[in-house]
Amino acid sequence: MGYSLIWYLKEFARTAWIKKFLFAKTAPLTTPSYFRGFPEPTGRICQHALFCMMACPAPGAIEVVHAGNGWMPRIHKGHCIRCGLCVEACPHGVLKSGRILETMEREGSSLLFSFRIAIDPDLCTGCGNCATACPVNKQIDAQLGAGGHSSSEEVIMRVLDGDVQVLHEEKCTGCKTCETSCPTRAIQIARILEGTQQPPEGSGP
Amino acid sequence: MSLLQRIKNKVRARSIHVAYVDVGSCNGCDIEVLACLAPRYDIEQYGIFVHNNPREADVLLVIGAYTPGWEEKLAMVWDKIPPPKAAVAIGNCPISGCLFNRRETFVDPPVKKHIPIAAEVPGCPPRPTEILQAILSVRDSVFANWEEEHP
Amino acid sequence: MKRTVDVNIPLGPIHPCFKEPARLKCEAKGERIVGVEVELGYMKKGIERIMKGRPWQEVMFLAERVCGICSVIHNMVFIEAMEQISGITVPPRAAYLRVIANELDRMQSHLLANFSYCYTIEHETLGMYLLDLREQVMDELERLTGARVTCAYMIPGGVRCDILPENAELLQVSLDRIEKDLRRYTGMFADGPMIALRSRGVGILTQEAAQRAHAVGPTARASGIPADCRLNHPTYRQLGFVPDCRQDCDNYSRIMVRFDEVARSIALIRKCLQELPSGVIRGGGICKAGETRYSGEAPRGELTYFIRSDEFGRIVDIQIQTPSIMNIEACCHEMIIGADSIADVTSTFVSADPCIACTER
Repeated sequence: MGYSLIWYLKEFARTAWIKKFLFAKTAPLTTPSYFRGFPEPTGRICQHALFCMMACPAPGAIEVVHAGNGWMPRIHKGHCIRCGLCVEACPHGVLKSGRILETMEREGSSLLFSFRIAIDPDLCTGCGNCATACPVNKQIDAQLGAGGHSSSEEVIMRVLDGDVQVLHEEKCTGCKTCETSCPTRAIQIARILEGTQQPPEGSGP
Repeated sequence: MSLLQRIKNKVRARSIHVAYVDVGSCNGCDIEVLACLAPRYDIEQYGIFVHNNPREADVLLVIGAYTPGWEEKLAMVWDKIPPPKAAVAIGNCPISGCLFNRRETFVDPPVKKHIPIAAEVPGCPPRPTEILQAILSVRDSVFANWEEEHP
Repeated sequence: MKRTVDVNIPLGPIHPCFKEPARLKCEAKGERIVGVEVELGYMKKGIERIMKGRPWQEVMFLAERVCGICSVIHNMVFIEAMEQISGITVPPRAAYLRVIANELDRMQSHLLANFSYCYTIEHETLGMYLLDLREQVMDELERLTGARVTCAYMIPGGVRCDILPENAELLQVSLDRIEKDLRRYTGMFADGPMIALRSRGVGILTQEAAQRAHAVGPTARASGIPADCRLNHPTYRQLGFVPDCRQDCDNYSRIMVRFDEVARSIALIRKCLQELPSGVIRGGGICKAGETRYSGEAPRGELTYFIRSDEFGRIVDIQIQTPSIMNIEACCHEMIIGADSIADVTSTFVSADPCIACTER
């Protein structure tokens, strides 16, 4: 070891070392702007499409409630896991978090939903709870929502000859109200999500 | 308030021992508590010392959703801590069970019904800055006035 | 007259050196350990049962939260298993970005394991240096994905967001700084006399014992078994990946294998950034019915998912095999028996890097 006493004394007498020792401070604690925090409203008008509620993986984290004359999504902080799926799934850009909205605009990426209805014929009793409970059915034909029969061909599903028939699967919004009202768990809704990208013209590396 | 009580308040607020208990989490929040010890988010500069002994602790950090393996043991650990004491729940799991709060699960959220909780930090996991803020707010609200409220 | 007594020493669920609750009941004759009994079960949440019947967008977040330290690799193995079932191909730019995220996660997990070991042998200074280095890696992970832990970066068909050119520059600068510090800290660990006293020759796991106990990951690679799942992955084969191996089978070589792997991860990320192809980052694709078994290399060893899905892409049956189960078995039945003192039990157990949350989901 070629380190002598004089060398040690010279090391500790450097001004740079003395300044660092006496005026040391930890770095200021700031959250970077690209951190994916709890989603916040952007100011755009919420149009009650409810895709944020369909995409959320945490139970009880987001719900769309009345706010003044319109609607607004409300996040419960103790349940939200800050994943950002609600920000990406909203077709009107009502929520923002970190840099997700800028990324979606720059790259043209989006999440597309489609819903499928699957009825198990062995378990189905033909009670019609699903057709009565469905909110889209109620909008199309108010008589069906009140518990009566329906003669319209535009509803999603209705009971005919003791069996449930699915007529318009594409109108389903995936709310799963029929699933919770079915007494035998015969009807199941699948929320199929696909992550796609359409890069805008004249961009890309 | 006598001079001795004022000194006790000041000293208790300046030197806090923290013990943490993991009642069944994914370890994300646990690692963010360890990151608080790192030189960047230095928790020891406030006089807070993180170790794992309940008998010498003032603040208990509860991490995780309450699993069946910890049935009566968490209450036993809480009783071992001498007063003045406070419990802080870190992360979403002790508040609501996070993603594990479904019909088919084994956990029993929230932890509030098993031991009394003084502060909560939401997030999955919360940033180390948010954990620091929670512990410092517990210091100001619980320990700084202990002698007045508990004569 | 000297008399050795048989004692049962419990290292309980709450312990300064274990970050997670597990109970080790050591039977000791005097100071020498003759048997160990492991008691787990403090963290069982039933994640696999919750996952049944759910689509990929909910199972992905549950799979990430099996273990918060190695969350990116759980995400990657689950998504790649679903892609194998459904026949979805990933665009090349997304495949390279996945490798970058995976290697950043591996670096921070190895630095955390080494910090845990240094803290256990009471070398707090080196432990704090490593933890500070880990913070720089977490910064880079946050800049790439948007979150520090449980990033949720990969989806079937690609990744969620792209890397900007200025962020790629910052990543290169950061990697240079991390590599310089890493070389200094590795030198400090390799030359320290007190560390050598407590690590060399302690916790021997011979090659036959490792094969008998089916050890995986750095625990096996420090005993001379060059097994690594990344050799079967097409993107890693394209980048020319070779696993690191050491021949002395003690605590010291396990920690050094982790340091070597961090250096190799830095080299892999540099190569990815250099050769990053252009193109889209999401290829789209819907999950279909099928059954598969898929393995990936977590920081602690080989991680396997057995998945069966129905025609809408929802999970019917799932089983996760995590590496820590095998490593804890190897540790408690081969390494600790015959240890010279109780103090060596904790340092040997921590050097095998157990992740109890992975072991019982």
